[in-house]
Amino acid sequence: MDDFMGKAPSNETESLCPVCLKRIKAARLFQGDEVFLVKECMDHGSFRTILWRGEPSMTEWRRPKPPVHPDLCYGTVEKGCPFDCGLCDAHEQLPCSVLIEVTDRCNLHCPVCFADSGRGESADPSLDKISWLLERAMAAAGPCNLQLSGGEPTLRDDLPDVVKLARGIGYSFIQVNTNGLRLAADKDYVRRLHAAGLSSVFLQFDGVDDAIHRILRGRSLLDHKLQAVRNCGATGLGVVLVPTVVRGVNTSAIGAILRQGLQLAPTVRGVHFQPISYFGRFPDHKVDEGRFTLPELMRCLEEQTGGLVRVSDFSPPGCEHAHCSFHATYMQTFDGGLRVIGAAEGDNCCSAVSGAGGVKRTVETVSRRWSLPPAMPSSQCLPIYNATSSCCGIGHDPTRIEGDLDLDVFLREAAVRTFTISAMTFQDAYNLDLERLRGCCISVISPDGKLVPFCAYNLTGMGGKGLYRRRDGLRSQW
Amino acid sequence: MTEKIESKNASGWICNRCNLPLELQKIRLQYFRVIFALDLPACPGCGMILIDEELATGKMAEAEQVLEDK
Repeated sequence: MDDFMGKAPSNETESLCPVCLKRIKAARLFQGDEVFLVKECMDHGSFRTILWRGEPSMTEWRRPKPPVHPDLCYGTVEKGCPFDCGLCDAHEQLPCSVLIEVTDRCNLHCPVCFADSGRGESADPSLDKISWLLERAMAAAGPCNLQLSGGEPTLRDDLPDVVKLARGIGYSFIQVNTNGLRLAADKDYVRRLHAAGLSSVFLQFDGVDDAIHRILRGRSLLDHKLQAVRNCGATGLGVVLVPTVVRGVNTSAIGAILRQGLQLAPTVRGVHFQPISYFGRFPDHKVDEGRFTLPELMRCLEEQTGGLVRVSDFSPPGCEHAHCSFHATYMQTFDGGLRVIGAAEGDNCCSAVSGAGGVKRTVETVSRRWSLPPAMPSSQCLPIYNATSSCCGIGHDPTRIEGDLDLDVFLREAAVRTFTISAMTFQDAYNLDLERLRGCCISVISPDGKLVPFCAYNLTGMGGKGLYRRRDGLRSQW
Repeated sequence: MTEKIESKNASGWICNRCNLPLELQKIRLQYFRVIFALDLPACPGCGMILIDEELATGKMAEAEQVLEDK
């Protein structure tokens, strides 16, 4: 559908059967203002999954990119997409981000976990193994952004050594994906991570009401999350809040989460919403019930903030497939105003970005937006508002600012005062669209040294069988 | 087209087309969603605006980099 060659986009695509994971034909079916992925497996019947609901329409949410094939491929085309990942040379985008799982251990056991972590089945990779994997990823993907993930990566006492190692290999933007428990409890650990060269902390943050954390994570966590933000800020580490969004659990808290993030700026650099996907570990009931599509999230942000942010602020991405995400960048004024500074309307639809150019710009932009400038005095890392409590509802309500901007003020403030609102929706066995998968720019470097698109790596069939992830750390055999 | 007399202020520049001295005017520069307001030398006749190299390669280039989107 995201066609660059000027052809009328087709709604025919391919997917997998969620039961047996065989490749089958699929189609995007438009019914009213909803779009479904419909498909049929000869052995296991028909499936229908919501993809998109309401405005902005899926049709207008486009940002075509010419396909760019990786130069160095660790996979060979044999069975066809998505069975040959390495990446294979039929992949149509270069990685902008590589994720490495540095442990399978976890100190939570969340009911929803894309990595189905905490089974204790595999030992942590050694630093030598990590070095080998990162060198391989660098050789194939170049100096793209690096995500340290797991399990819970902060369970590794030597995580600062992993960061140093990654810096030495040439990664310049390194983030850790974390629940924040250790960052809240261990200030020295936070300092060591920062000193080692960590760029940003992606902090699991599902709401400002602990009832939400108890449902999604199994316990109350808000105090720990806020302390983690404070400890990061004191060190000069930027934080991005990452809510997993589940309809009926925290979809009425979207505005509150955003306001909380704004109150914690400039330490908090943005909020990156992730509507739930059904892979890894997830509650075993009707999966579509919890889905929340990107346009619904955009409208929710506008409604729940009273127009502080608007649907028209958001743009499709220049790197990954258009239907994977949205984003907008803002500047906060010293008195708490919020001004959108991202791409203008009208650039969304047909501004073509070359695949490789889109990747390079993404790597550089992400680094600017999601990390704090280096060598900031710790006093500048404190929240804008002089509020002793960081709980939502205390402090000024931000107001939307429009109008002309002073260039000198902008340049002085921009490095610290930008705030990004974004969302990414991952694919699972029910809604997988192979066209989107081939445009993926986030790859996991697997234990056997292959680059696999994130959604393919985590994809899990109905019976719990992984497409690529095996319980013993090896890849599934197809 | 301008003829440079002095390089430090608008009164040093003359528009070659209109033969009028440039004046500092309130100018609005738009880049994507952001409009910057600043005072720049401009011709009162034809409206030509002078952006000197220092501004273009300095502050404006820096602003463009900040605003560059993914």
